[in-house]
Amino acid sequence: MSTTLERETSQIQPERPWAKQNKSTLVANLIAVIIPTTLLAILFFVTEIPGPVLVVAFFFPVQLLTAGVTTFFDRGKRGIGDAVLSVACVTSFGLVLALLGSVVFSVIARGLNTLSFSFVSQNNIYISPTTEISYGGVGHAILGTFLVVFIALIIAVPLGIASAIYITDIRGRAAGFVRFMVQAMSGVPSIVAGLFIFAAVILTDVVGFSAIAGGLAYAILMLPTVARTAEEVLKLVPKDVRDAAVALGSSRARVTLLIVIPTAKTGLITAVVLGIARVVGETAPLLLTTSNANNTNLNPFTNPVATIPVYIFQFLGTGYETSINRAWGAALVLLLIVSILFALTRLISRKKREKQ
Amino acid sequence: METTKTNQASNVDAEMSGVRVPNTVRDNHPSNPHNSTVLLETKDVHIWFGKRLILEKVNLAFPENSVTALIGPSGCGKSTYLRILNRMHEFIPGAALAGQVLYNGRDMYDAKVDPVDIRVNIGMVFQRPNPFPSMSIKENVLSGLHLAQLEIKNPEQIVQSCLERASLWTEVKDRLNASASSLSGGQQQRLCIARALAVNPKILLMDEPCSALDPGSTRRIEGTIRELASDMTVVIVTHNMAQAQRVSDYTAFFLAEEGSPAQVVESGLTDEIFSKPKDPRTNDYVNGLFG
Repeated sequence: MSTTLERETSQIQPERPWAKQNKSTLVANLIAVIIPTTLLAILFFVTEIPGPVLVVAFFFPVQLLTAGVTTFFDRGKRGIGDAVLSVACVTSFGLVLALLGSVVFSVIARGLNTLSFSFVSQNNIYISPTTEISYGGVGHAILGTFLVVFIALIIAVPLGIASAIYITDIRGRAAGFVRFMVQAMSGVPSIVAGLFIFAAVILTDVVGFSAIAGGLAYAILMLPTVARTAEEVLKLVPKDVRDAAVALGSSRARVTLLIVIPTAKTGLITAVVLGIARVVGETAPLLLTTSNANNTNLNPFTNPVATIPVYIFQFLGTGYETSINRAWGAALVLLLIVSILFALTRLISRKKREKQ
Repeated sequence: METTKTNQASNVDAEMSGVRVPNTVRDNHPSNPHNSTVLLETKDVHIWFGKRLILEKVNLAFPENSVTALIGPSGCGKSTYLRILNRMHEFIPGAALAGQVLYNGRDMYDAKVDPVDIRVNIGMVFQRPNPFPSMSIKENVLSGLHLAQLEIKNPEQIVQSCLERASLWTEVKDRLNASASSLSGGQQQRLCIARALAVNPKILLMDEPCSALDPGSTRRIEGTIRELASDMTVVIVTHNMAQAQRVSDYTAFFLAEEGSPAQVVESGLTDEIFSKPKDPRTNDYVNGLFG
């Protein structure tokens, strides 16, 4: 008796019956993949039409059609919707991935040769557009970018989070108006923000070209991103949790400070990072506010300061081979800084989740 | 303190002079088994959402150290009435109120009363467990004291005694620093009870505390409620007839007739409401003929 039982159990293997495909589905899928790609390949090699045009104008509609038709024969009317939707999603995803990938790839491919320790640690004094790449670098611009972004953070993060709290928690009479203004602000072109600060503080001689002026211009751009993201994140804090705090005899300020903000902490960090990502590559506002410098300037209040975007702009404009390489190198440095930032926030939020 | 005494005295006077407050638990049952004073009382309470009157003329009194169950079909304003009792109703836009809610003989909607004081003294447990997700179990228990800015002497002991009273201590004593969200639904609800107990309220309002829980957790929480009633006044909203019979000393039956605002149809000792109700509608409801 026991032997049969054992044998029976040993014969049973874990399976996934829902993942089984019948043959007609397999054939239909194969046809749906092979026909459009073959046609695409033939057209690409026979005609002179450029690849991207072919993909968008020919491959995409043909793929939709083939997938729809083959699924119709396999699964009937119900299959068409599924097939069309999955083809649309997958191809759009592929398109976006290709665009993003080509940007990242070209920056890495062209910037990697320039990247070296001296490039990220030295500044731009005594460097002419034709100086060899082993001399001089973006060290001063990295520090300058950090300085300007830091100033913008000091201004925009408290303001942004405060306005989000005003909208979600305080729900003051002007909440709708504040939300509207924040949304309107996110449409301000970056050069207008730069021009505004230029007119408001530099032309009036409050400060000269300096990091603080750049920080102010960046803050204008950063504020709507931080405020809107923070608002979305604070809205996610359940009403139940706020109710519980109020019912325990908490003042409104303490509900916000001790309960709502800690609950939404990771989301608020994301809001800050998105704010940084929004501004860190902006060049136009800095041309009008920080200007540019070759030396390292850590004084935020006086004298122009170099930043990575403006450094790229400066060297791209000269037209010399080494200068253009410097610009690509600086672009790669900027990309790396942003990536490290995103990776760090991911790490922080994951660590927090693991703790729970 | 002085005012409280006079107020209570004047209440008694009013009754003696024959001014009957209809529908109060006390009036229907002069033989109050607990023989205790009324801590919380509502007089002619009407509640509106916007222009819509949803609850009409509620007169109920909640004797000290007893459990009162509020029963009735869904949507008849029981939860709203409960939120009136610790000033949580006023956060709903368009909410309105008429009548008096007396706590310790004093109208809690008086302009001089700080609603935060009321909420410290009258705690609340909600329908869905809502521990603070950013805090550990221990921090959750102590959170009320932090939030209400009360003095914390001997936090370890507070944590233990509150968790013991909520019958959660043995399950969590080895992981007090774990996140509250790691607990099961029933444990979370008991944590919420412990959290409410930590600020040492005089009254505990419970809004269907067991509706999202399994029978085992429900039984534990019911046991907790019975124990709490020895030194605390509990008002519990429930849809569960059997639960109302198991845990409550008094019961008030809320009912909204078609197209009209809800009213308290009948209130009194739980045994009598369930065994020999005076109103036929109460009889139908408690016997499961509708609702």
